[in-house]
Amino acid sequence: MKIGSLSLRARAVVEGFMSGLHRSPRTGFSTEFTEYRQYSPGDDVRFLDWKVMARTDREFIKKFEDETNLRCTFLVDFSKSMEFGGDDAGVKKSDYARTFAASLAWFLTQQRDAVGLATFDRDVREFIPPRYRRDQLKTILGRLETQPAGNATDLCQALEKLASLVGKRGMIVLVSDFLSPLGELGRCLSLFTAAGHDVRAVQVLHPREVDFNFEDAAIFEDMESGQSMILDPGMAREAYRQKYNAHNAALDAIFSAQGIPGFRVTTTEPLERVLRRFLEERPARAVVRQRRSNGRSAA
Amino acid sequence: MSFLTPLYLLGALGLAIPVILHLLHDRPKNKQAFSSLMFLDKTKPPVDRKRRPTHLLLLLLRCLALLLLVFVFARPFTTVDDPADATQRDRQWIVVLLDRSASMQRGDLWQQAKAKVQTAIGQLGPGDRFTLIAFDDSTEPLAEVASWLGSQSEAKVNARLEGLAKPGFGGSNLGQALVFAGEAIQEAEPEADEPPLAKREIVVISDLQKGSRLGDVQGYEWPAGIKVTLEQIGEDDQGNAGIEQVASRVPWATAGAAPSFRISNSANGISDELEFLAHTTAGETLSQKVHVPPGRSRVVELPGEWAAQPIERLSIRGDAAEFDNQFHYAQNQQQTVRIVYIGEDKPNDAEGSLFYLASAFQPTSTFDFQVEAVSGKSTGPLPEADLFVIGAAVGDALANALGRAIEGGATALMIVQSPSQAANLGQWLGADGVVIRDIASRDYALLHSLKLDDPVLAVFRDARFSDFTNLHFWKHRELQNLPDDGIDVLARFDSGAPAWLSARRGEGRLLVMTSGWTPADSQLALSTKFIPLLYSILQPVLERKTQSRQFVVGGRIDVTRFNNGQAGGGITVTPPGDGAAAVSADTVFTPAAPGLYTAKGAGWSETFAVNLTPTESRTEPIVMEQFQKLGLPMSASTTAPVTAVSAKKTAAHRREYWQWALAAMLLFVTLETVLAAKGSRPAEPVMT
Repeated sequence: MKIGSLSLRARAVVEGFMSGLHRSPRTGFSTEFTEYRQYSPGDDVRFLDWKVMARTDREFIKKFEDETNLRCTFLVDFSKSMEFGGDDAGVKKSDYARTFAASLAWFLTQQRDAVGLATFDRDVREFIPPRYRRDQLKTILGRLETQPAGNATDLCQALEKLASLVGKRGMIVLVSDFLSPLGELGRCLSLFTAAGHDVRAVQVLHPREVDFNFEDAAIFEDMESGQSMILDPGMAREAYRQKYNAHNAALDAIFSAQGIPGFRVTTTEPLERVLRRFLEERPARAVVRQRRSNGRSAA
Repeated sequence: MSFLTPLYLLGALGLAIPVILHLLHDRPKNKQAFSSLMFLDKTKPPVDRKRRPTHLLLLLLRCLALLLLVFVFARPFTTVDDPADATQRDRQWIVVLLDRSASMQRGDLWQQAKAKVQTAIGQLGPGDRFTLIAFDDSTEPLAEVASWLGSQSEAKVNARLEGLAKPGFGGSNLGQALVFAGEAIQEAEPEADEPPLAKREIVVISDLQKGSRLGDVQGYEWPAGIKVTLEQIGEDDQGNAGIEQVASRVPWATAGAAPSFRISNSANGISDELEFLAHTTAGETLSQKVHVPPGRSRVVELPGEWAAQPIERLSIRGDAAEFDNQFHYAQNQQQTVRIVYIGEDKPNDAEGSLFYLASAFQPTSTFDFQVEAVSGKSTGPLPEADLFVIGAAVGDALANALGRAIEGGATALMIVQSPSQAANLGQWLGADGVVIRDIASRDYALLHSLKLDDPVLAVFRDARFSDFTNLHFWKHRELQNLPDDGIDVLARFDSGAPAWLSARRGEGRLLVMTSGWTPADSQLALSTKFIPLLYSILQPVLERKTQSRQFVVGGRIDVTRFNNGQAGGGITVTPPGDGAAAVSADTVFTPAAPGLYTAKGAGWSETFAVNLTPTESRTEPIVMEQFQKLGLPMSASTTAPVTAVSAKKTAAHRREYWQWALAAMLLFVTLETVLAAKGSRPAEPVMT
């Protein structure tokens, strides 16, 4: 994070990745052939392969892969808790999360994919619908560049609102620390998965949030609620870790139930590696099956 | 232990500063922002145990030093109680005014009042002067001690106080009592060997009810050096309702009017629904509900069916205080006033004088006027009368009898209507050659030069009633050869001729009008001046005969007015209650308790009622500002002189401790410095 500009940082991260087409989950009008299927009464006769029919005297329907572009929307947490960090132990979580989102956006734009952005804390703050335009990336990077000034996080409320804003199916990349009561998070995430979105969650954490390795007693202040507590970290560490692990286990269970790939990263982890991990990940099976069922069938 | 400058003790609050600093030291100073406290539980703040004992000792020393510094500034001292001081005390004179009016009968007010007297006595020292005065309508000095001798004097005062078993029935005249006490102090002449008085104080022990009369204090110049302390009792007054008769002494009330009673409810009254009861002599009780909101009064007319019964007592029920709920009632009796008209007029002749005379004197609730006509030529005896009106020439026999009656004290009004009356007038005035001449006025004559100072015309003295220009006289007569002495001209006509004359003859008097009130003579009978003029002529008689049957406790009752003003001597008054001894009263009787009294004389007996003063029913406390407005020299409380004396005493015999406190403080500061220096010195290296 030595590079100050977010766009430069993103560019540096993306360099080395080569472009490649994403397969569209839909079959439709395109030039790429996928398979033959025997004609059955009711199929559109326009899709009959006349050459095969002439050659074999049998009716076959040609199926093609639809060459639509990917629509990706980044949901980035701009709450106060994301401001933690920026010390010797690692960068700010918000800087890390914004750089990750910017890098991925850059990468997708390079591939002519439509990219959108939503920022939220307790509620949705900004929403830029996914588009493929020349200045879309500039707009997104500009918005990500602004300093988060949010309050407390209410993931569920923000997700409910976003579900109504994000229209067509596509990829949803949720970037947050998920450090708030989980409550009905599962139900709120299901609003996206049920609508056929390919949801991926990236949990950004600071190393101190993972192991709570403070030394001196201090007045600990909650960055979101402003509450304070006098603590001896040595005495509180064990209980902290237990609760932290339990929280993450619950979060993983929610992701798993919804078929959402979850990425837990700390701000000390190199971004290129995280990006690679992210792109290599395939959507969960259940979601793919659901998408295929929506496919067009040839006559 | 006391302090000369106790305000400095507030400095002890500064002790909190080192304690707070000490506590702050234990709290971590650094703050750590953290993304979420949701995984954290509260733990005890860490304590640096090694440094704690040293700190506590230092804290203790610093607190003690600060406390001693505060002590030094507050100047602590103790007083030495020296019995020899008593002789050196300043003398004071306490005058206690003890209210014994009827309103003090409420609850335990009397016991409270007596206890307050004891408190005042307890503040007296040897040599002090003490006066105890009881007051209600009157003011009565009960005890006077010129030089207080402790228990001996106390026993004397207590004996007099015990003599007052309970309060009386009188009204409260606080103003009179205050002025009495003020004058008693002012007029007291100090004896030659008497030590001077440093303080003069009047202590009023009273319920200070609104009904207390304070009029005497207004305008009274209080002597310098007197302080008045008001010791109020019964501040928790729960309100009271009172009853009084309305307009019981108006002589011109119509004869058939039912008596009215005013029922008033004080502003702090507990109820607005009162019961109005009438108790007959037969023991029967009649009652009706009366709605009187607190702070208001209502006039209730005695219902017709009640008035027909012989009522001896009225009462109200439903208020907190009982002492004034009874109203003893004695029905007023009409007094007979006899008027004899001497003339030839017929009673219903509207052109004559008698018709208007009889019309003017209608019976009222107080008086029964009996107008009798006698012919001037009558040879019979002259009837007895309170007023003789002579409207025609009178025969010799009657004239002689009239002359004697006037000399004996009768009042006669002579209307000169014809020259033939000259002989009579000359005879009664004791003048020869009186001539009466008719004056033929061109239009009319008016009155002027009225002598409004004369008792007969005094009723018209007010500027609203002194205009006689609307009164026209068509005809009048001129009197010639009148004697110069003994005749007052009360009014003249505008021609200068006398119109109304007054002459004193022996014990009685003769009034002469040179123009009558018949329509042929003047407009007098039809004017608003006529009836007041006739009543004014009769006034001495009416005054003598006016006697109400309703009196208040402490009021002076002129017993000679009973029996139609002819009570005579040897009158006895029997107070209420069975077996009460009759009291002989020659002229004046002063009742001390309410009830129905009976006055008896030779051959007659009359009952009259005595009630509480109506103002006693107003028991709500007087607003204290009223006393200040009246210029009363108020003091804070009766304890003030005692504290003043004790302050003087301590000035002479106090023992101060501030020097000791200062020395101790310096010692603690030194100790603290040594300990603090030890604590901060680095440990010496250990030689190996």
